[in-house]
Amino acid sequence: MLEPLEEKRYVLNLGPQHPATHGVLRVELEMEGEFIVKADPDIGYGHRAHEHMAENRNYLQFLPNMGRVDYLHALAYNQGYCMAVEKLIGLQVPERAEYIRVITSELNRISSHLLWFGAFLMDLGAFTPFLYCFDDRENILDLLDRVTGSRLTYCYYRFGGVPQDIDQEFIDGCRAFVKRLRGRWKDYDNLVTKNIIFIERTKGIGVITKEQCMLYGLTGPMVRGSGIPYDIRKKEPYSAYPQFDFEIPVGENGDTMDRYLVRLREMEQSLRIIEQALDKLPNGPIMAEKVPKRIKPAAGEVYAAVEAARGEFGCYIVSQGDVKPYRIKLRVPSYANLSILPEIAVDTLVADLVAILGSIDVVVPEIDR
Amino acid sequence: MDATIFGSDLVRMIIGLIGVIALVSVNALFLIWMERKVAAHIQLRPGPMEVGWHGSIQTIADALKLMGKELITPDDVDKPVYWLAPIVIFLPVLLSFLVIPFAPGLVIRDMNVGVLLILSFAALTVLAILMAGWSSNNKYAVLGSIRSVAQNVAYEIPLLITVMSIILMVGSFSLVDIVKAQEKYWFILLQPLAFILYITCATAETNRAPFDLPEAESELVAGFHTEYSGMRFALFFLAEYTNMFIVSALATVFFLGGWRGPFLPGWAWFFIKVYAMIFLIMWFRWTFPRVRFDQLITFAWKILIPLAFANLLLTAFLMKLF
Amino acid sequence: MLSDDIRKALGPLNLEKVESGDYSKTGYHLEVAAKPAQMPEVAQAMLAQGCFLESLTALHFREHFTLVYHFAHYDELCRTVVHAMLPIGQKAPTISHIYPGANWYEREVYDLFGVRFTGHPDLRRILLPFDADFHPLLKEFEEIVEESESKANA
Repeated sequence: MLEPLEEKRYVLNLGPQHPATHGVLRVELEMEGEFIVKADPDIGYGHRAHEHMAENRNYLQFLPNMGRVDYLHALAYNQGYCMAVEKLIGLQVPERAEYIRVITSELNRISSHLLWFGAFLMDLGAFTPFLYCFDDRENILDLLDRVTGSRLTYCYYRFGGVPQDIDQEFIDGCRAFVKRLRGRWKDYDNLVTKNIIFIERTKGIGVITKEQCMLYGLTGPMVRGSGIPYDIRKKEPYSAYPQFDFEIPVGENGDTMDRYLVRLREMEQSLRIIEQALDKLPNGPIMAEKVPKRIKPAAGEVYAAVEAARGEFGCYIVSQGDVKPYRIKLRVPSYANLSILPEIAVDTLVADLVAILGSIDVVVPEIDR
Repeated sequence: MDATIFGSDLVRMIIGLIGVIALVSVNALFLIWMERKVAAHIQLRPGPMEVGWHGSIQTIADALKLMGKELITPDDVDKPVYWLAPIVIFLPVLLSFLVIPFAPGLVIRDMNVGVLLILSFAALTVLAILMAGWSSNNKYAVLGSIRSVAQNVAYEIPLLITVMSIILMVGSFSLVDIVKAQEKYWFILLQPLAFILYITCATAETNRAPFDLPEAESELVAGFHTEYSGMRFALFFLAEYTNMFIVSALATVFFLGGWRGPFLPGWAWFFIKVYAMIFLIMWFRWTFPRVRFDQLITFAWKILIPLAFANLLLTAFLMKLF
Repeated sequence: MLSDDIRKALGPLNLEKVESGDYSKTGYHLEVAAKPAQMPEVAQAMLAQGCFLESLTALHFREHFTLVYHFAHYDELCRTVVHAMLPIGQKAPTISHIYPGANWYEREVYDLFGVRFTGHPDLRRILLPFDADFHPLLKEFEEIVEESESKANA
């Protein structure tokens, strides 16, 4: 039997096992009634010591780890790590390989956003969109399964290119998928975006100002929702991205609704990139000619950044001239993105916190590393 | 009640009771299967397919499983209240069947206070939810039950006022009389606003999405029944689905002409209408996101109650006029 | 050019090194070396230039730690790296009052390396359990004298 509450405040443990935390995240909430007075995220339940592993393996052996940091947009992490190593040893990637990387990475981005879309709406209590998204996402998984050999935790890129070329069937499948997903936007709009309950739940909730973005080092849809057009694909062009025509969708108010819209529009931009890449796909090798068998870079350090689905993934490698890296730091977007939660969660309701957490799009294994 | 407690009345009561319990169990089993099938087809998937034809006896298997489960009583729960809550939630829904007219003559007891009886029994459900949440010694459960109380109190008022406008037209609290009064028109044609208000309030009263805040799974894990397992949990489930049946039956009586309909016998029409209403409520659940708690309460007090009053006044005015 | 502005802003701080980096090789436009004690001033200057803190980490060497701060900018491509050498056993001043985002990064560095930051509001472990008695990313050169751990540290 509960004792009569002597103090008005009490502590509510949201997680580590809770339907809305998407993995093992625990948020310690200090509450007054249903209002949150203080939120303290407790992370690290899924800590697998990737950075420690890196110091005990050679460069190639660490590559499969990259599919397991952020398993939802694994190919961006593949790419970030490969780019950093390629920079370190001065390897040039052939153009066709860059195109293949862009196509597969964008497909993976869409699949990540689709999963977010479903999970976010499930947090808001709408179950059905989740399964619609999974239906679409299944197509991507099948396509990527064809070229990468796996449906999740991809390890597809290699230093200097990709190991396996794409075939006509994959290209046709991509085109069919682009067409299919374009036809779905209207359904999603009608089912979700125009739904009055959804609008009421997301408008003006969890507002993040531009100033706050800068102070907390947020990246990805979190800053774009606040109106800062920061996208590494544009600002620090890498791979074949400069050759494609696409926009960076931005929001205005920086609330949950804007972050939702930004991600939704981003999927359309990804489709555009895929379409252009398929049209312009050059012929040629998919692997650099002289890839050293034994990667032993000179002493030095390198930082490479890519735009992952959740924001900037930075791979910082320090080499001491050994076959093993001296230190690898993975700058993961969700880490910074989640660190703002204690500030924006104050004075909201539990239901809002769930919506905000959903709109941050945390992938907890990525934060825990 | 009259003095004929013995004799034919007693027999009628016993048959009624057996019939109701059978109906409640079969109905709940069917509704759970229906819910899963409806959800599945809305979500582009087939749903249960393995046990029986299209998974038709899946719920029987589930029920057997739930019966076989251990009844976990966590430490530090308030045991008597914790044990009593599932029974208390089940009792009022059973009693509500007393006055529902399934077909001409097929009503256990036609009382002249039928509507009041059902609505006051429905209010008892809140008590059970509060008991369950409070005794569980779990913060999520307490939050869920507190929400439930606030929600049910808020939505009972517009529900009553809406029903009042029907009663004003009929001039009787008896459900049989209400059906009889719809000889020419179903009341949904005369009272469309009241129908919409009623459906909204009924969805909230039965804690169904988009108003399923007491058990909002993404916020409160499972709300008031977080700590319940096995058959106790099943009783909450049974009560929820039976409640759905009752509000749909009331909607049928109030607005859809009860057992009236061509060709088919009365009871068939009654059940068709009830299940159509239930389908509508399920459709809501699988389409809408959940509202936030403050929005829910604001919606009741600021929109539904004024609308219900306006409707009542309009009805009274028109009654006087014609 | 933003990198020139940053150079100008960092000029008066008497830092050890402010040089332009080879972007194609390292990904840096500006390489800066500073003393840990100068970091709050550097962070203040970077904030005034509109840069955000991209990442903060540490490297463990035989004689010292190197704290590595990465700064980037939302509008212009300019990545600045600041290396700050911290002798083992010493404490570094926090920059979490300037960049609140540094709060978690500093906790992480403390957690993985045992580097303490003075003035940090809440220097607890973040990835490892609160009762862990080791700092996993320390290299095994020789016996490293670890500071005593207590769950409720200042």
